[in-house]
Amino acid sequence: MASVALLAAAGEVGGDFFKERSSGSLPCQADESHLFCFDWAKENIDRYGTPTLQHLELVLISVAIGFVIAFALALLAHRSRWLQPPLLAATGVLYTIPSIAFFFLLLPVTGFGRDTAIIVLSAYTLQIIYRNTMLGFENVPDSVKDAARGMGLTNRQILWKVELPLATPEIIAGLRVATASTIAITTLVVLISAGGLGTEMYGSNFNFPTAILIAVAIIALMVLAFDLLLLTTQRLLTPWRKVRPR
Amino acid sequence: MSAPLVLGSFSGAVEFIFAPQESNVTGGKEVGGFDKTMELLLGHIEVTVLALAIALLIGLPLGLYLGHKGKGELLAVGIGNAGRAVPELAVIALVATLIGIGMRNVAPALALLGIAPILVNAYVGVRQVDPATVDAARGMGMSELRIISRVELPLAIPTVMGGIRGAAIVIVATATIAPLAGVETLGDFILNRNVYGENGLLAGALLVALLAMTIEGSLALLQRRLTSDGLKVKTA
Amino acid sequence: MSESQASSVRYEEATKRYRGASEPAVDHLSLEVPAGEICVLVGPSGCGKTTAMRMVNRTVDIDEGDILIGESSVRERDAAQLRREIGYVIQQIGLFPHRTITQNIGAVPQLLGWDKDRIRARSAELLELIGLDPELGDRYPAQLSGGQQQRVGVARALAADPLVMLMDEPFGAIDPINRERLQNEFLRLQAEIRKTVLFVTHDIDEAIKMGDRIAVMREGGRVQQYATPAELLMAPANEFVEDFVGADRALKRLALMRVADINLWEAPLAHVGQATAEVRAKLDAPEVEVPFPLLVDSERRPLGWLSERDLAAENVPARPDSPLGPVLELDDVMRDALADLLQHETQYAPVVDHERRIVGVLSVEIISEFLASPEAKTDEHSAAERPHG
Repeated sequence: MASVALLAAAGEVGGDFFKERSSGSLPCQADESHLFCFDWAKENIDRYGTPTLQHLELVLISVAIGFVIAFALALLAHRSRWLQPPLLAATGVLYTIPSIAFFFLLLPVTGFGRDTAIIVLSAYTLQIIYRNTMLGFENVPDSVKDAARGMGLTNRQILWKVELPLATPEIIAGLRVATASTIAITTLVVLISAGGLGTEMYGSNFNFPTAILIAVAIIALMVLAFDLLLLTTQRLLTPWRKVRPR
Repeated sequence: MSAPLVLGSFSGAVEFIFAPQESNVTGGKEVGGFDKTMELLLGHIEVTVLALAIALLIGLPLGLYLGHKGKGELLAVGIGNAGRAVPELAVIALVATLIGIGMRNVAPALALLGIAPILVNAYVGVRQVDPATVDAARGMGMSELRIISRVELPLAIPTVMGGIRGAAIVIVATATIAPLAGVETLGDFILNRNVYGENGLLAGALLVALLAMTIEGSLALLQRRLTSDGLKVKTA
Repeated sequence: MSESQASSVRYEEATKRYRGASEPAVDHLSLEVPAGEICVLVGPSGCGKTTAMRMVNRTVDIDEGDILIGESSVRERDAAQLRREIGYVIQQIGLFPHRTITQNIGAVPQLLGWDKDRIRARSAELLELIGLDPELGDRYPAQLSGGQQQRVGVARALAADPLVMLMDEPFGAIDPINRERLQNEFLRLQAEIRKTVLFVTHDIDEAIKMGDRIAVMREGGRVQQYATPAELLMAPANEFVEDFVGADRALKRLALMRVADINLWEAPLAHVGQATAEVRAKLDAPEVEVPFPLLVDSERRPLGWLSERDLAAENVPARPDSPLGPVLELDDVMRDALADLLQHETQYAPVVDHERRIVGVLSVEIISEFLASPEAKTDEHSAAERPHG
């Protein structure tokens, strides 16, 4: 089925990459006269459906999981300050490892497929969401916390009614960055047979600029759409930010 | 997967790095080993350093200048945001199919990926320098160039280095799939499984991870060295 | 306005030690603040006044000793519950930026479980009380000026009708002009609601203006003198208090007196159309201290001062030569009266009652004589009992 074919393709392309390119037997050859084959695009646009859905699915799941974990960690670190440096370092280390390496390092443990993809993709979102959440907390003015405490709010009430609402802009900023980079990295999961839009850039279509460009365009649209969505959500959640100071 | 198996796989990988092995995929030919590993490692480092150098050459002065002038905020932020969302695979693929293969074509493409974080962070870093400090420097008679190099840059080091580190990460990561465009890097082990086998695969992943962490660690140390003590002191 | 409650506050050997410090920040403080009074804690920075204040609502923990609100110890209460009964106003105000003004004011009532309508009504009531347009209720703090924000801070503290108010340099971050306005408004408010207030400031002038009682503190929260403003100015307990109050004590005393407290001089009165000869005769009378006749109308309301030229005519003219200049009222604070005299560069000013009828004349000489005289001391005791501000 699809994954087996992809595996085979992966094996093939790796070794015979140069051979295929020079064969000239491609659906639409890119040269100086035309970069983009509109006809081919029109005819074959449906093949992008499944990869796009796979891509979306992976992104949504990974960002959701990453957010839940990073947010929980941030809440923990907020209460126990001594956790902050180690957590920051830990999430940072995960981010440093190039995604490809990460994917393949996990192979012995989780093998090919979606699970590995989700684990790695979630791990990458941890650092930025964690850092931004902590930054959001830092930006809450001390005087507001002092007043809240002095008025008789319990620590938990201060967290949920004061600190989190005021930290929302930073948190969502982190989500935006995390989502954008996850959408980008997800193109690589084709290498571990997890589908996604990377399939249109790798495999037998690899030599095909038009296919690649369409995939890139879809990705760009996805990034913009999510960014806009998150930005709008932020605006809705923080009505007090729009007002101009007197 | 059980622990012993996992460990077993990794030990196989480590062996692969150091000694040539028989690979059952290519029918008995010996693959891997220290020499090959070194060759690919050096290739990886070479393209990374080259790309980073180009990115620095272009991104750093531009970012510092724009930040100093205070112009082009929209552009800088836009580039930064866009840069994060660029799929590395697409870049390599497009380079390979449209422009050509080989170091000459790949290095600039990687550099392009690295310019975004360097430029954005240089811009933001300079913008965040206290305007009063710059004002004082100007009032003392420092030339604009001096201000940038002696005042703004040192004060912006943490942010700027953050950008450089980000660029390094992206470039090292993308260099891993550079073999698809004809540049021999450690990614070769990963992408050509049929040649190098399971051990090769893991070895490649391991090496890339280690390389990335080493580079990141060195840059972090460099950052600490470059950050003036005055900035490191915590305010009372 | 609805009922307002207030409790006394009593410190009993309250002590706070910080780790690593050789001396306690507040060392066995014992102090009693009667219900309904403003007690100002004043002293140099670091003397422990803010710490002492914060011990009342336990935003700073009490290590030894106790503080009683009414008859109940604050140490035995749950901290969060305790704080909901105490109004808390801080220098940086600390309004919730993400809530509207109305929601900010209603914060504690909401914690206490009041229903929405009651909260809204109370917020509106308080907005009016602090002198803000009720329309501002739906705005966010960022849309208000500093002075307005500070007023909302006070309203917020009053919302749940607390037993005690804690105010930590509440007007410190405001410009001097608005600060004075806010101080006056708070005093007016206090005259109505009579809360027990613990007010911290480093400014002795503010302490004298605001306080019913003042506690002058040194390091360790050690009270050097706990007295009314008048006592403090007249009889500083030791050198520290004397230095802290300042060398201009005498002038400061003027802030505590009113024009009515002093013996005024008499000026000969003249009516329009009166024979100038009569007026001259009055001028020569021995009990008259002011050498100029004052023109008044049939109701004895001052119209102007008469000059030599005016008296040259047969009868007193309708329009006097010299303008009236500043007119003072019996209720005016002596310090402001002196300021008026000096500002208009005039030596004499007529003093009138509520109906603008002449009562006497005030001069700079009277004031300085008074300050120097021994009677000044006895007179000020009675002056101190009157509400001021």
